[in-house]
Amino acid sequence: MTQLVIEGLTKWFGGKAAVDAVSLSIDDGEFVSLLGPSGCGKSTTLQLIAGFEQADAGRILFDGEDVAPLPPERRDLGMVFQSYALFPHMTVAQNLAFGLEMRRVGKVEIRKRVDRALEMVRLSEMADRFPRALSGGQQQRVALGRALIIEPRILLLDEPLANLDAKLRDEMREFIVGLQRRVGITTIFVTHDQSEAMTMSDRVVVMFDGRVAQSGAPREIYERPAGMEVANFIGQANFLPATIVADEGRLMARTVLGVRELLPGTGLEPGGTVSVLIRPEALTLAGADDAGVVQATVDSISYSGNFTLYRVRLPRGEMVNIQAPGPGRQARGDAVGLRLALAPLWPIGIG
Amino acid sequence: MSRRVLLLLPSALILVLLLAIPYLNIVLISMRPSTPDMAYGSGFTLENYRAVLSSVRTWREIGTTLWIGGATTACAFVLGFPVAWNLARSPGKSQALRQSIVLSPLLVGIVVRSYGWTILLGNNGVMNRLARGLGLTHSIVPLMYNRLGIIIALTHVFLPFMILPIQGGLQNLDPALERAGRSLGASRRTVFLRVILPLTMPGVQSGCIMVFIMSISAYVTPVLLGGMRVKTMPMTVVDRLIDSFRWPLGAAEALVLSGIGGLVLLVFVALTSRRWNRQ
Amino acid sequence: MISRRAVGLVSGLVYTFLLAPILVVIVASFNSGAFLTFPPQGVSLRWYGAFLHNEVFIRAFLTSVEVASLATAISGGVGTMAALYTARARPKVADGVRIAMMLPMLLPEVLTAIGLLFYFYALKIGTHFGLALIAGHILLTLPFVYLNVSSALSEFDWSLNLAARSLGASPMTAFFRITVPVIKTGLVGGCIFAFIVSFDAFSTSFLLKDIGTATLPLQLFDYLRLNFTPEAAAVSSATVFITVLIIAVADRLFGLKISRF
Repeated sequence: MTQLVIEGLTKWFGGKAAVDAVSLSIDDGEFVSLLGPSGCGKSTTLQLIAGFEQADAGRILFDGEDVAPLPPERRDLGMVFQSYALFPHMTVAQNLAFGLEMRRVGKVEIRKRVDRALEMVRLSEMADRFPRALSGGQQQRVALGRALIIEPRILLLDEPLANLDAKLRDEMREFIVGLQRRVGITTIFVTHDQSEAMTMSDRVVVMFDGRVAQSGAPREIYERPAGMEVANFIGQANFLPATIVADEGRLMARTVLGVRELLPGTGLEPGGTVSVLIRPEALTLAGADDAGVVQATVDSISYSGNFTLYRVRLPRGEMVNIQAPGPGRQARGDAVGLRLALAPLWPIGIG
Repeated sequence: MSRRVLLLLPSALILVLLLAIPYLNIVLISMRPSTPDMAYGSGFTLENYRAVLSSVRTWREIGTTLWIGGATTACAFVLGFPVAWNLARSPGKSQALRQSIVLSPLLVGIVVRSYGWTILLGNNGVMNRLARGLGLTHSIVPLMYNRLGIIIALTHVFLPFMILPIQGGLQNLDPALERAGRSLGASRRTVFLRVILPLTMPGVQSGCIMVFIMSISAYVTPVLLGGMRVKTMPMTVVDRLIDSFRWPLGAAEALVLSGIGGLVLLVFVALTSRRWNRQ
Repeated sequence: MISRRAVGLVSGLVYTFLLAPILVVIVASFNSGAFLTFPPQGVSLRWYGAFLHNEVFIRAFLTSVEVASLATAISGGVGTMAALYTARARPKVADGVRIAMMLPMLLPEVLTAIGLLFYFYALKIGTHFGLALIAGHILLTLPFVYLNVSSALSEFDWSLNLAARSLGASPMTAFFRITVPVIKTGLVGGCIFAFIVSFDAFSTSFLLKDIGTATLPLQLFDYLRLNFTPEAAAVSSATVFITVLIIAVADRLFGLKISRF
């Protein structure tokens, strides 16, 4: 099991830095997601770790050893691709056996391990089928099995779930995480889907424009995003302007929705202004005449089955998103009352 | 649905009336006796086949023809595969340019091509003078009026037919396959031999089949580049038809050549298909 | 074993190999001397002049153009119809049709020509009226039109037609106003390829021509057996230039796509 360290990794493509001085440290057995929109550099970073691209600057260390001189086939990786990349002219069993053949494992041993891998991915009856006879989910599992059967140091997954439909994606998510926990392998998972990254990872690394915007546990990223870009990318975000006031030594934020304690941050002085992050679930809908509410009008409604997203207009014109469980009873144009939870607010941008 | 089939009608008519029936007719004529004053006489006989199969000279010519066909196919493969690879991996604009270079022999006309080769390969032609000028040799290297010249020229003509199917096969490959192989520990070489090559086999087969068929039935190029010293079957067959007017014999010879060529191809396909699925 | 540079090098050599004879002929055509030597003794256009005054060659040229045009026109229509059928047919049927349409290309040209020769004699027409010749050229050109058009159609999004129909267009209108413009490049490319193949064909013309007719390749062939002046090179080069011109113009106008077979 391997610790992976990346220092100042940089890669230029045609005048632009696709990966810009990225530094990262991944512990033994950790499941880390590289998350970001298309073009943010997450896939390129993965290609650099795997050795399919050469970095222009920086180092990549597996357990302290610089892997730059090693070609991909000697870095002892397991990799799963978005298109699965199963060898079409080989059966499932032959696909699984390929990595072992490259490591000159004996035929008897290969047989054993292939059988075990087939069991692990629950495809024992498919051993002699060709990939084209398998469904997307099954191909996905073979790809995983093929990567893990060689017991690599590091598992790299490049948007493996992108080609699956929603239900299958959920199943595979659980499967991959379960497998990873059992095997305990250091894993890097590239995705543009924030709910995937959030539900699967020990740590999420959010990337924009080739740089790491924030790296931390899912909860930390969600509740204390490092900037508006991160906040917007992960879940829904509302930003409200707030004035900073002092109250018995603590800093408070005064917003149109009420005054709440302000979480610590840099450059916060009483009298200054700041934007605060308010997640939709921190707001509750109540009657327009209820006590202690702020008045607002419903602008649009989006029903998703288990919750409803409301877009609501505040008296001074600000628009705010609110999430309420189940189907709500409000309609467009209704007057409603908003209540803000009592929890402290997270400052996002100054001024 | 039945109305749509009408779209096929003209093609079907052409293929049946102008291709299928004439070919069947060739078989018929090959079984007619030769007569001195007409193209062929009445009645049926296997005399022509007996004459063909028992003639040593004919077998030698068939041998020459098949040899030229095989050598041309092999050269076309060896030269064509790298070009197909290069083409499949080249970016858009330059791919179009390279593809037109690959197709250029076809666009230029067989006579022009063969003519150009006579200028290049003659005893006093460009290649020979170049070789002597560079000090590579002091005597004349006979590149023309022998099998070598024919093979060179035929390879030139048929390279596009080898390159394009292989290129097509290569471009249809998932680019991630190579990376997958390498991530599993295979060197570039192993990935090529175990993954890429087997998957391009269908294209290679198509290319080889086309080139082989076309080179054993080539007429103009062997005539212009072989002079009178190399005789291939198509040359003999055309002679029979045009010069000596012995159609039945010519038909029989053509069919024997095609039959043997077809057998060679079947063996080839059988061998390479098994290799493809081997594991 | 496989280094990118080695592949590039071999490819470069092969590209040169492919262009060599053509370049040689073109260069030789500008020779000012009276003999076909290489390198040429001087540069001159005299052989092009000679060719343009040579009635025999001009007539052969025109004959080739006529034959190629007629064959391409017929194949163009027939091949396109077949491609249209294949585009919406079941895969197995489509494969069968495809192989059948490619047969003239896969079968030896000489044998096919021989077959037609025997056939037309049996029909008591022989090589008269140029029927046999046209028949042979139709067979030569058909696969090229079919392959190119069906390749273009395979990339055609049929929902475009459905959209047109939903907006009120009849099947014919949808075809001519929607399908044709989109597959235009495939159609034009196929026809140009077919024309060129027919123009340059030898064996077919050789066996099936009528007495007194000659296509340009045949005329060149005759000439080359006896003469060694650069006039033949000039004629050959002229056909090359014309071919390139046609392709360039068509590409500019329609955008050509070369399909694979």
